[in-house]
Amino acid sequence: MENSKFMQLLENILLPIADKLNNNRYLSALRDGFMVALPLIIFGSIFVVIANFPFLDSVMSENAFARYQEALGPASASTLSIMGLFVIIGIGYKLIEHYKGEAIYGGVVAVAAFIILTPQVLEGVAGVIPASALGAQGMFLGIFTAFISAELYRFFVQKNWMIKMPAGVPGAVSKSFSALLPIAFTLSVFLLVRILMSFTPFETVQNFIYTVVQEPLTQLGSGLPATIIAVLLIQVFWFFGLHGQIIVNSVFDPIWYSLNEQNLSAFQAGAELPNIITKQFIDSFLVGMGGSGMTLAVIILIILIGRSRQLKEMGKLGGPPGVFNVNEPIIFGLPIIMNPLVLIPWLIAPVVVTVITYVSMSTGLVPKPAGIIVPWTTPPLLSGFLATGNAWQGAVLQAFNLFVVMIIWWPFLKILDKNYYETEKSGEETKAS
Amino acid sequence: MKHILLACSSGMSTSLLVSKMEEAASAKGLDVKIWAVAQDKAFTELGKANVLLIGPQMRFLKKKFEKAAAEEGIPVDVIDPVAYGRVDGEAVLDKALSLLS
Repeated sequence: MENSKFMQLLENILLPIADKLNNNRYLSALRDGFMVALPLIIFGSIFVVIANFPFLDSVMSENAFARYQEALGPASASTLSIMGLFVIIGIGYKLIEHYKGEAIYGGVVAVAAFIILTPQVLEGVAGVIPASALGAQGMFLGIFTAFISAELYRFFVQKNWMIKMPAGVPGAVSKSFSALLPIAFTLSVFLLVRILMSFTPFETVQNFIYTVVQEPLTQLGSGLPATIIAVLLIQVFWFFGLHGQIIVNSVFDPIWYSLNEQNLSAFQAGAELPNIITKQFIDSFLVGMGGSGMTLAVIILIILIGRSRQLKEMGKLGGPPGVFNVNEPIIFGLPIIMNPLVLIPWLIAPVVVTVITYVSMSTGLVPKPAGIIVPWTTPPLLSGFLATGNAWQGAVLQAFNLFVVMIIWWPFLKILDKNYYETEKSGEETKAS
Repeated sequence: MKHILLACSSGMSTSLLVSKMEEAASAKGLDVKIWAVAQDKAFTELGKANVLLIGPQMRFLKKKFEKAAAEEGIPVDVIDPVAYGRVDGEAVLDKALSLLS
């Protein structure tokens, strides 16, 4: 009884948090903004994979390989490398859509405001926007700009400042100015900010946000402690049957994607990869192991040792979606939610896997994620191979991690199985007698 | 014909349920249309549905959906976690139908 009261108490704390995080209009717009960018990001990623197929560099001449890579380059340069731009359009659009305004203006105003705040000079050459500013480097600036520009645009629309036309001018003419004024006011504010910032030591707003916000946050997010906290939060939310990944993503995605971008630029330049924790570290090495909590290992274990009908049934039901990292059947069916018997492996296994993966990458045993975005529904082994830039070590690491998760779960699943088995047996005996 | 809309995080796990619910419906000889979408798409799809059911893992969105669904005059509920885990199409179909009646 005490136990269930405690559960109820925790649920009463967690549900409002999840509610706040997901119903917050900025965080929803942010999540939806990334959703808008996702198809483009995946398109670019596919071509990074094709351009870096294993062994190609040994079968082709150096010259031919360089030309091959150069020919495919624009695919990722126009999508993956400037993903900040699409996220900004998405956020501006979704926020104004939320306010039931003309969403497309929300998107274009956000882009224009962002470009106003972006340095337009590269190594002394004017009229150039550095592509890197539209990618990871400008990610945080872009997100803030999209939020603020959408709010300003909405504010000016609500003020309803119109150009008063003399009587006799057709209504359609004055209406055509209705978007003009809010846009003009909004962008003027950003221009003013740019000018003011040029008098500070930071010189550009881009530089200011990067140094003051983005750098410290990504530094923090790239570390093992922050990642373990994020992973534990995901597991705790799921334990209460709430979609932990989507809740935690809405806060961590900007950081994880920025770290990812840095690795991609380094990978394409053939330089050393700076980060271990990236979007792909989470999506391929944690989620991509059968879903949050690496439940594919649990399903394999069920198939190997399960005796009770309930678990065997669960293995059959959860297996096929589990291969593609969809694990709701197992989470609700095993069940994992609110089941104290599996709480320990449920919390510990992902943390152990996080540490193993981190250490094996920091020691160079396994290449770091190359910044390629592999869709989270990609089956394990394949996803590890692709995420590490076509490295077999990535697949081996995933296989090893699955094995580790199975060992951690084994004693607990054994007890659960025995409980179910005995209940089923006693149920049959009562029926028979 | 009754239109039943399911929503979860990305429309993946609810789409598992869709095929089971369709089986249950055709066994009962019912004429229904059932489809699953990601939660962010659910608002635009709401207009085409008679009832909306959301995955239990997204139950923190219930209030938001209730507000939107009230404007369309559509009932909303969260799918029972046990039925969800068992991918019990019949139970979920029955629930949808009871909300409609």
